[in-house]
Amino acid sequence: MKTDTNFFSRLYNSKDQLWTLIWITGILSLGIWDMVFLNKPAFNKVITGFFNTFTIAFIVAVFTLFLGWMITIALNFTERMKNRVPFLMLMFFLNIIRSVPQIVGVLIAYVIIAQAATRGTFKSGFTIFPAMGIAMSLFIVIELVDLMRERIDHFKKLDFYNAMRVCGISESRIINFHILWKNSRLHIFNKLISIFGSAVFLQCSVDFIISVGLSSDVNSVMLPSTLGSLLAKIDSKQDILAIGSIFTNPSYITNLFTLHLQGITVAFLIVFSLYCVYAISNGFAERHRL
Amino acid sequence: MERRYSISVSSSGRKLVSVSQYPVYQNEITFLFGESGIGKSVLSKALYGLLDPDGLDIIINNKTYGHHCNDEWTKSIRANSFFVFQEPSSHLNPLLTIREQLNEGSLEGADDSEILRYLWQTSGDESVRKLIDLYPKPYRPSGGEKQRILLAMAFKRINALINNAPVNEPSYFVFDEPTGSLDNRYRNLFLSLLFAKFAARPFTIQIITHDYSIISEIYRSHQRLVNRVHFKELTRVKGGTVAVNDFTPEDYLKWLETPYNQNKGMFKKNVVLSLDPHFSIFGKKHTVYDDKQHTQVAPLVIKRGDIAYVKAPSGVGKTTLAKIIMGIYKADSFSMNLSGIKLNEKSSQNIWARKIWGTRAGMVFQHADESLNLQATVKETFDGLPGKKLNNVLLKNKLSELFDGTVTDDFLRKKVAYLSGGQKQRLNILRTLVPAPHLIILDEPLNGLDFKSVRKVLDLLEEKCATGSALLMISHNEEIFEHFVTEECIYYLS
Repeated sequence: MKTDTNFFSRLYNSKDQLWTLIWITGILSLGIWDMVFLNKPAFNKVITGFFNTFTIAFIVAVFTLFLGWMITIALNFTERMKNRVPFLMLMFFLNIIRSVPQIVGVLIAYVIIAQAATRGTFKSGFTIFPAMGIAMSLFIVIELVDLMRERIDHFKKLDFYNAMRVCGISESRIINFHILWKNSRLHIFNKLISIFGSAVFLQCSVDFIISVGLSSDVNSVMLPSTLGSLLAKIDSKQDILAIGSIFTNPSYITNLFTLHLQGITVAFLIVFSLYCVYAISNGFAERHRL
Repeated sequence: MERRYSISVSSSGRKLVSVSQYPVYQNEITFLFGESGIGKSVLSKALYGLLDPDGLDIIINNKTYGHHCNDEWTKSIRANSFFVFQEPSSHLNPLLTIREQLNEGSLEGADDSEILRYLWQTSGDESVRKLIDLYPKPYRPSGGEKQRILLAMAFKRINALINNAPVNEPSYFVFDEPTGSLDNRYRNLFLSLLFAKFAARPFTIQIITHDYSIISEIYRSHQRLVNRVHFKELTRVKGGTVAVNDFTPEDYLKWLETPYNQNKGMFKKNVVLSLDPHFSIFGKKHTVYDDKQHTQVAPLVIKRGDIAYVKAPSGVGKTTLAKIIMGIYKADSFSMNLSGIKLNEKSSQNIWARKIWGTRAGMVFQHADESLNLQATVKETFDGLPGKKLNNVLLKNKLSELFDGTVTDDFLRKKVAYLSGGQKQRLNILRTLVPAPHLIILDEPLNGLDFKSVRKVLDLLEEKCATGSALLMISHNEEIFEHFVTEECIYYLS
């Protein structure tokens, strides 16, 4: 009995774990409900959309980590070079990316990917996933680079950095292992959680915009179906509009959970997941005192 | 009369520090030694009722902390005694002038001019008044000045106790590293005033310190009070459990008289470092002398097997000099030859990175806490050093030179953050010694060490010299280093 109390008390105090559990439980409960009340073709579409959205968001987080680490290291080493050109060039390109609003950047990248898909550039459906993840990473990676550079600058001001250098430990080991891995990995992981949330949001927003008809040259059918594109479908839109009708006809509310499930499920999955990711990130920062 | 306390402080079930028989000698003087991080300050604060109980489980004499804080003795000592904190900056409120703080709360009204004049060694009030009308920030009095302000507050409370309290009124004045920012002259002035007050009316004093040279000062200048002084040392038993043992001052005094073995190994005494006596940095000119009176300008020359010691008052630039030699600071002008490489203000830092760090020269930084990666394990601290990679067996052998008992695999896997202050300092020293550079610069290497570790470190440094390393010492601890270093190797910086 004591163990149970400890488990729940520990879970309550670790808000990130609590919200992860809430998220998984919420998704599973919704899945069970949809299995019962949603027709099978729509249910399959929702599952595919959910899987695609979160797979791409995961790829974005992984690729952002890889790319962000590379850029940070490149900046650190080019900054100390006598020849300033490589550093300034790198900063110039990063500042160009920084100047483009993320959603606009991702939208343009998706348009290009959709056109490439229409021309048959992507041989299999799965090769398009990394392309979408990488495209989105390019516009998100700056956030991670800024964090990693801040961490490096902070530690460079401490005796820690010089004390290791004068012992003969290489700069590369101090930066990669001692600063980024040993002292910043929790900060980096927390940033990746929020990047995962941003990727879900951007993915849904951009797919929604593309799906409602951005341009006649772009065929969104060539892109994997995601929660954003599902939300843009006429069925989902009608389901969302049905929410408004409960203000004039409150008794209709029960129908929302049985007759309008596709749109409501997609909207709920987006909003609930984003809120949970936000709460997980905050809880993680709180638990580790970041 | 003696009070004994059993104190335990834990957090989330982990024992931070626990001691039985922690003594408080009523109306006597206690010096408490022990390596840093062992729990001296925590135990004193717990007893004084100053620990923040949030997140802590504190038991004192089998009673809760709340019960202890509300008992008569604690209430009484908090009303008429004083606790001088270790770090003067954290004691002072930046939003009040020093004068306001000197007259705050129960300090209000009492005359402090005599105390201030004494601690600043001035006959008039003007220079002291200029200082006390300042805010501690942003005007920033020096560390020594802030320390003396805190001591002045304590002396005001001592005066109040002497003048107003009955003789049997309990008292407990705690001075936590009260001389850490003072040079020897002001340290001795503080001790003289404290002991004069004590002689006028005995009260309970506990002084927490790492400065073993205080012992010599007591035996030299306050012999008549020696029988009222207790020397105690906190030693680790296991985990967070510590024990209070007697410290025998005679051991220290005898050790000071024992000459260090200056007979170095058989090797050619090449010059490892030769630094021109004049150098400048941050717009200030500095000069190296080889006599106390600063009459003979001399280059700083260190040969293989030599131990050189640079002396200068606080803030003159000893650490800055070390950082110039190590290429961390870029001097406006300087010139040196380090193990065959000529360097000056125009030399690129890449030269130090490629040819000097870890091979020709290494440096032990002053604060182990700041110079080690606290998130790394003990083993990881030694990974990446130049030279042959150390396997666990070799590393354990190296560590056993400064760590007691058998160094286990568990110890190698332990996070540096979980080591005591003294253990961190020993690790800090070993990290620089392991690659065996030609020149080893040690900035306050005895910081936070207990006496046993001090001897071990000095023995190890002596061994390093015997194998041909050259050492450059920077320290405030003049008594120990004057004992350790020959007169001709002492340099003075201005």
